[in-house]
Amino acid sequence: MKHWLLLLLVLILIIGGYFLPHWLSPFHVRVVQFFFFAAALAAAWNILGGFSGYWSFGHTAFIGIGAFAAAHFSMRIGMFGVQPFSIVVPIIIGGLVSAIIAAIIAYPILRLRGIYFAIAMLGVGQVFAELSNNIRWFQGGIGLFVTAPMPPGVPPERFYYYVFGILLAITFATSVAVRYSRLGAGLIAIREDEDTAGMLGVPAERYKIAAFVISAALVGMLGAAYAFSVGYFTTSTVFRIDFSLNMIVYSLIGGLGTLFGPVIGAAIMLFVTQVLLSHLLEVHLLITGLIVVTIVLVIPKGILGTLSDAMRRRRSVYLQKAQPAGETR
Amino acid sequence: MLTLLQTTLNGLVVGGIFSLAAVGFSLIFGVMGIVNLTHGVFVIAGAYFALVMWRELGVDPLLAVLPIGVVLFAFGYVYQRTIIHWAVSRSSLVASLLVTFGVAMILRNVLQLVFSPDVRTITPPYSFVSLSFGALQIDLVRVVGLAASLVLLSLFALLLARTSFGRAIRATAQQPLASQLAGINVRHVYALTFGLGAAFAGASGTIIGIVQPFSPASEVAWTLNAFVVVVLGGIGSPAGALLGGILLGLINTFTAQYIGPAMTNAMMFLVLVLMLLVRPQGLLGNAFGETR
Repeated sequence: MKHWLLLLLVLILIIGGYFLPHWLSPFHVRVVQFFFFAAALAAAWNILGGFSGYWSFGHTAFIGIGAFAAAHFSMRIGMFGVQPFSIVVPIIIGGLVSAIIAAIIAYPILRLRGIYFAIAMLGVGQVFAELSNNIRWFQGGIGLFVTAPMPPGVPPERFYYYVFGILLAITFATSVAVRYSRLGAGLIAIREDEDTAGMLGVPAERYKIAAFVISAALVGMLGAAYAFSVGYFTTSTVFRIDFSLNMIVYSLIGGLGTLFGPVIGAAIMLFVTQVLLSHLLEVHLLITGLIVVTIVLVIPKGILGTLSDAMRRRRSVYLQKAQPAGETR
Repeated sequence: MLTLLQTTLNGLVVGGIFSLAAVGFSLIFGVMGIVNLTHGVFVIAGAYFALVMWRELGVDPLLAVLPIGVVLFAFGYVYQRTIIHWAVSRSSLVASLLVTFGVAMILRNVLQLVFSPDVRTITPPYSFVSLSFGALQIDLVRVVGLAASLVLLSLFALLLARTSFGRAIRATAQQPLASQLAGINVRHVYALTFGLGAAFAGASGTIIGIVQPFSPASEVAWTLNAFVVVVLGGIGSPAGALLGGILLGLINTFTAQYIGPAMTNAMMFLVLVLMLLVRPQGLLGNAFGETR
């Protein structure tokens, strides 16, 4: 019964998502496209940061790696496949290269915990940015042109709307799959107490590396798609501290470690910054800062975390009424 | 050979200033375990205060160190008592990372609105004089900056080592509960420590203002520098900050000279990551408290 409902919901989402850009103005299609991108980034970050508690402050490294890998691949080797689908191979390459690099740096860097891991990742982002900027072969300083073959008759914003929509679906499905697998349970055990989890037989090292690589691969694919959507990019377009920060803030607002949290957080933040404050560019930073501070001080568990706490409290009140002598906390 | 000596000299001079800029960060990190990402804004705010006092009142930046220190001390005290304390008590130490980042964004935006995002410099009359030792050359401002940094660092070390206030800080860092039992007002000491850290950040800002150009956006670089210095030297001690700062200065100038001026940040972070992996407690180890 429940499965039928779920299937129906997914079907409605797919059909609605398909027809939505036909009704919206090009500007709003772009806003929704950007929402897909931001929500997918946050959901990918959440696989590592939310489930396992390893907060990366430098995930923009993988956006950049994916973008550079895809651009160099399509520039030097060429595109494969039929017109609209030839964008698929470079995107996969972006994710693949990102995953390989993540796998290489994962073992040393995941030995760090907490604040040290966060700052080390900030450093990793910075190092890759400077390398791409200063080594001439990468052309990060002068910039790279990438043009995806567009299907005829489809405006670009609608095309990328579908690209990012599909990527968001993939990211979300991956995060659901991870959450309800052995891996996901292990990651949450690691988040709660890594040493105890290790003692109880969770292969912490392997699980952390797996989460890191999965997260990096998804972000790499998004970075590749982002490179195509902007058409021309330099190092400073793709390696941006605010990308790294936004992934954290979206997840935090919605609820860390929840499935829908990052998506809800991205929707709220984008609505506030892009729609309500679109003409107040000068105080963007100030308002983002205010929101971050308020969220941490008022609802540190995010929207979903606070809601589920409230629901649990109500439920436990009922339980207390039902069995007054029971052991309730 | 001459280039090598000149590079080393430059590195030492820059390193002294890095040390002063990092010592407040180091203290706050060592005593409270808080990574204060607002640190860079404190530094840059100090530089802007010095700029205003120099432009409007004609006060020499070196004399402005004291009033700026007092203003930032007050700000730091209140900041810890309110926002930082709320964040740490309501959620976690990692949340304080995010809160300080948020406040840094707010303050940076405020600085941009007030002073515009342009790059500024402070140019006191002695800023175009340079000294020479044989064939080695060095700007007078850098020497002045280094001397002022070393004096302030020594004062800081004396304050921690010799005064009863310094003893209270060290005791609180090691055993908050025990020091509370011994009659120390821990919340007050925490706030005072934070104020002290902010004051030294502001003081270093005034010196940085005469040595280097600055803009609101350069706050990130000063926060990261402070973090690297602390990781290199060790948390919580002035000696560690001095060692880390000088090492960072040498790394920067040598990379700029022999590898390429654009690679300094990459090299800095490479050293940072390696250091975190090999010896996370810093070269001098942890001055007080056990490893967190």
